[in-house]
Amino acid sequence: MNCVRCQTPLEESDLRCCICAHAVPAAVSGAPVTAARARILRCRECAAAISYDAERKAPRCAFCGAVMEVEEPVDPVERAELILPFAIDRASATASLRSWMRSLGWFRPGDLSSAATVEKLEPLHWAAWIFDADARVTWTADSDADSGRSDWAPHGGSARFTWRNVVVSASRGLSGKETVKLTPRYLIDGARTAAEAAGEDSARETFDTQRSAARAKIVAAIEAIAEEQLTQGSIPGRRFRNVHAAVLLERLTTRRYLLPAWVLAYRYKGSLYRSVVHGQDSSLVLGEAPVSWAKILLLVGVIAAVVVGVVALLAH
Amino acid sequence: MPPTQDASIAADPAPAPGKVLRCGECGASIVLGAYRSAVCPYCASPSVVERPAAPDLPNPVFALPFTVSKDRAVADVGRWQRRMRLFHRSFSKATIDEIKGVYLPAYLYSSVVESRYQARIGENYTETETYTTTENGKTVTRTRTVTRTEWRDLAGEHAAYATDLVVTASRGLPNAELEHIEPFDLRALRRYDPALVSGWLVEEPSLRLDECTKMARVEAQRQEGERLSAFMPGDKFMDLSFSMTVRDESIDPILVPVWVLAVRPDPAQPAVRVVANGQTAEVWGPEKVSAGKIILFIVAIVAFIAVLALIATHGRAP
Repeated sequence: MNCVRCQTPLEESDLRCCICAHAVPAAVSGAPVTAARARILRCRECAAAISYDAERKAPRCAFCGAVMEVEEPVDPVERAELILPFAIDRASATASLRSWMRSLGWFRPGDLSSAATVEKLEPLHWAAWIFDADARVTWTADSDADSGRSDWAPHGGSARFTWRNVVVSASRGLSGKETVKLTPRYLIDGARTAAEAAGEDSARETFDTQRSAARAKIVAAIEAIAEEQLTQGSIPGRRFRNVHAAVLLERLTTRRYLLPAWVLAYRYKGSLYRSVVHGQDSSLVLGEAPVSWAKILLLVGVIAAVVVGVVALLAH
Repeated sequence: MPPTQDASIAADPAPAPGKVLRCGECGASIVLGAYRSAVCPYCASPSVVERPAAPDLPNPVFALPFTVSKDRAVADVGRWQRRMRLFHRSFSKATIDEIKGVYLPAYLYSSVVESRYQARIGENYTETETYTTTENGKTVTRTRTVTRTEWRDLAGEHAAYATDLVVTASRGLPNAELEHIEPFDLRALRRYDPALVSGWLVEEPSLRLDECTKMARVEAQRQEGERLSAFMPGDKFMDLSFSMTVRDESIDPILVPVWVLAVRPDPAQPAVRVVANGQTAEVWGPEKVSAGKIILFIVAIVAFIAVLALIATHGRAP
């Protein structure tokens, strides 16, 4: 069922739409009340009349102390619905890491690829929300377009955005920068349900977030994405500040995914470094690598020698 | 959880205040008053009325249950009373035990708000200016950097959802007083169930739906004004004005928990009321001052200072 106002799909047990707060109609149960009547709530243990107890947050019998259950607000912890499978195996991930080490350039140690020992190689499914949404975004900002004596001029406008398969990280293990680089390379269409992927061996992150907090995070992420996108064509000018976006969301659909990545730890000359290999595209490797201080000092020495040589020549 | 036993009441679609119902426990007659609940004075059995909805007397859709017990409400209002006792004659006589927990009828409003705004936006810039001053008796020329503001007109549109606006549906507790103890924690919102209100006073709506909708739109306009103030670019702004339209409104009856202590210091004067949020214990009461007490307070302070000065003067005397 969708919200009648913003068309956002409603979750079971929602009382109001999480985006526009429109009330969800109650399921009709029992015969409608056609005439006024007064009712007494009775204890199921001793049949005494009972009252709602503010401290117990439930109806409580003053005679026998029995507490009766009432429907509680539902705010479950988020659980993954869909899992993307790994497309590269352990050996390919290791090979990708070696290849990445060789491609890092002249300032890295020459023997990095051959001397580094992979100490840990873990398949990780990291948690993310993937959403689709439409939005009307009204905005204001300062930019350098049409500026006069001040460097800035005020602008305002509106834009329509359509987002499909946008990833919002819920990962605690991977950094924000890492997830931003990993997400464009996933083939979302190949996802399987959590039940279908039950037997796969990988460390799986949990969302550790309740539904209400998750929605707040997703909306905050959408607002940040909208502000970023506005500076890429909607707002005139090349420099921006004070970008304010009011996002009127419609049809927000959110799925909870687990996305694959290989997390590696390798040791080089006693120090430990961390890398991440994309779980579906072995050409994408992120991570830390040592630098060769000897080469940097050599380069500085050469530059200094050249400068001294040039100065000496000019002096003569 | 459904209530389990009926008591009897005349089969009215919307029982008028003053309707008599028969207690389902002992058979005593109870005057319903302006409430949809009652407690029998003879056997203390709580009843909750169920009735068909009428246009200006809807059934509650949502309820926010009490989480502040009477003991805590008495303690919090007592603290407030002690603070105010010095200045307000009424509260020094009030008995806090008379505080009552009431489920106040209200409406929960939301809509799409679209506005067109215009404002003057100030963008700062700096300039270096020369000036003359006198140093060591000589006139010298110096430079300094000054910040000036370039003002520009900006007009545009803003669209957002207005949500979580709660307005009273009771003539007994005006919206201005309810606002003092807001916000309510809407995360605790539950679908209305008589079990949530059993044993408590549940007031029936006494304001018409159109009156409440009007109040809610005024609140939405104020909320939009605050949002637009935060929406303006630039280093500063002035002359912000806007026209607003609302669409896709929804307004749902809700019961909100309020502790009420009404004090009537003089039978000829209107009651003075202290209210507390039944979820957060936020207390509010009119902060009228008693002129006599203020004068007495000032005189006491002056007298205290005078005595101190006298003691100090005598202490220094040989």
